[in-house]
Order: sequence, then C-alpha cells, then structure tokens
Amino acid sequence: MNPKQIACIVLLMIIGSMTYVAQIVHNKVAMTRTQAEDAESAARTAEDERTMAEIETGTFKTDTEELRRFLRSWLPSIDHVQTQQEADQIIEMSLRERGISLVRSRKTEPKTNTGNKVIPKSVLTTLTIEEEYAKVLNWLGDIERRLPASRMKVVQITGGSTGRQLKMDVSFETPIFDLSAVEAKSGAKDKSKTAAKKP
Amino acid sequence: MNEYLCHDFKTPRVDTSRRLPSSFRAIPVIFYVALIGSAYVMTMDYFGYKHALKQKTDAEERTKLSEAQRDAFKAEKSELEAEAVKAEKVAQWMEGARNIQPIAVRIARAVQTETRITQVAIERSEQVPSNLALTIHLNGSKVTSELAAIESALGQLYYRSYSPQQTKNGDVVEYHSTLVRQAE
Repeated sequence: MNPKQIACIVLLMIIGSMTYVAQIVHNKVAMTRTQAEDAESAARTAEDERTMAEIETGTFKTDTEELRRFLRSWLPSIDHVQTQQEADQIIEMSLRERGISLVRSRKTEPKTNTGNKVIPKSVLTTLTIEEEYAKVLNWLGDIERRLPASRMKVVQITGGSTGRQLKMDVSFETPIFDLSAVEAKSGAKDKSKTAAKKP
Repeated sequence: MNEYLCHDFKTPRVDTSRRLPSSFRAIPVIFYVALIGSAYVMTMDYFGYKHALKQKTDAEERTKLSEAQRDAFKAEKSELEAEAVKAEKVAQWMEGARNIQPIAVRIARAVQTETRITQVAIERSEQVPSNLALTIHLNGSKVTSELAAIESALGQLYYRSYSPQQTKNGDVVEYHSTLVRQAE
C-alpha cells in the first residue's frame, strides 16, 4: 500500500470519525430538545393546573363569601362562651342586672353531643322565674342578647302568684363550640347557603 | 553546466508509487465536504443544544413556580372549605336558635286589653329546631280576631302559623299551631 492510499484511508477514517461524532452530538441535541419539549409540555400542564386551581379557589371563595362572613360575624359570640362557668356567670349577671329576684328553680347541666364535632358539648339551663311582666320579657331578651348562640327550647309564660306578676319557665341550651375540630382538607361541601340571621 | 544539457541527459523514470485510482481522487473532496458539513452541523447543534437547554431550564422553573402556586391555591381552598364547613355547622345551629322574646312580645302586644292570655308556651321542635310549637290560652270575647291579630303580628317576624287549631275549654280557648319560619 503506497502512501497515497494510506493517506486516503486516514482521510476516510477521519471522515468516519467526524460523521460519527457529529451524529452523537446531533443525537444528544435531539435528546435535549425532546427533554426541553417534555419540560415545556409539563410546564404548560402545571400552568393549566395552576389556572384551574386559581379559578376553583376564586369561585369557591365567591360562592362561600356570605357563609364565611356569617361565621366571622359570629366568632366573637362563639369565643365569648367556651365553658359552663362562663355561661353560668352570664346568666347570673343577667338575672342580677335585670332585677330578677325571685328565681324559683334553677338547674344547669352539661350535655355531650356525640357525633357533632363542632358542638361537642353544650350547657342545658332550666330556670323558673317570677317577676313583673316587663322584667320577665326584658330578661328573656337580655339573656338572648348575652347568649346569642343559645337555643331556647321551651318558654312557658303563665300567671304569677299576684296579678302583676308572670311566671316563666324557660329551658335553653348554650353550645360550647369547638371550631378547631374542623381542620383543612376535611371535605367541605361545595355549596353556599343563605346565612341565617337572627331577628 | 547548461540546463538544457542536463535535461537532455534525463532518462524516463517509472513512478515510485502507483497513481491512485480515479475513484480515490474524490476522497479529499469528500473530506473537505465532510469537514465543512460536520462543522456546520455541530455548530448548529451547539446553538440548538444551548437553546434547548435554556428552554428546558426555563420550563422547569415555570413548572416549579406553577406547582408552588397551584399548591398554595389548593391549600387556600382547603382552608376555605374548612371555614365553610364550620360556617355551615354554625349556621345550622343558629337557624334553630332565633330569638323567642320578640315572639312573646308580639303576642302580648297584639292582644287587646279586654282579652286575657292565661298561658303562652313556645316549644322548639327537636327534629326541626327552626320550627316552634306555639300554645296560647286566651280568655275573652273576641278571641278569633285576637288570634288573627297574633298571626298577623307573627307574620311580621316572618313566622307562618302551620295547621293552627283552636279548642274551647269553658271560657278558655286553647290555640295550638306550629310556627314555621319563612324566607325573608
């Protein structure tokens, strides 16, 4: 084999090597491009998900705005009574301030509400008072104002021992709310209800 | 010595190495073409690689950012859902905790002085706490009109008397009805 032929073979080998390297580089670039396209696709998917989450959150926020505003307006009242002692104190103070001197009977007992996580406990109060008409009804209004979350179960008004007096048997339930029992991701119902308002 | 003479003395010589076949003559040309082509392809690939790498990095950053924002929105929604559940529970309770004193006051004010109320009982339903069972014992001559006035007064508080019943027991008329709250 003469030097010219050897030179040609060397050139052919160089050509082969260049082609091979170029192909490797090209494949690598093609792979990187594919990865970039995949990443771009993933980015678009993530952006779509973000947009969807934003829309869902915004819609839910708007839908439940009234309901949540209702809760916020009630939070001070809910936080106001957290124990049976606090409920008792409020009743005692109301009776004293409203001048209800004749309390014929009074009973307070705790009640456990199994299955209700938000109101696990409540306080049942049963009272029988006898006073003037105005005082009795004013006291009823006062206790409903001081314990706005309490639920009057029975109110019975009859004549008192004298003509001017009324006797009122009242039984009411004061809830002890535990709002921390409901944590995030507990599965809220996607609906908004008209918030109840007290008259 | 003269150059012409030298040439004249030259004898024909055979090549030390044989000539390349004509097909081999294209090899240097192919080499240069391959060199230029490879250089072009690799240069383009280099810029393409840089571009793809940047695109990939940017896309990954956007993905991370979008995922973080999505998670934040989801967390916010979860909190809103929890708040809504609380609000719904509180609203359910409050729906059955409306004040009773205005009802008692309205009943008392609706009745004329010649009519006497001997008893008023308001009892909340266990099943539907927003409903109230109302019992009134009246004594007087215009009981029917007084009861109509009471129902009208309660209507102003958005309560409707459902299945009202009257029974007369001597001079006393016993009135029973279920007060159902209407939407405002």
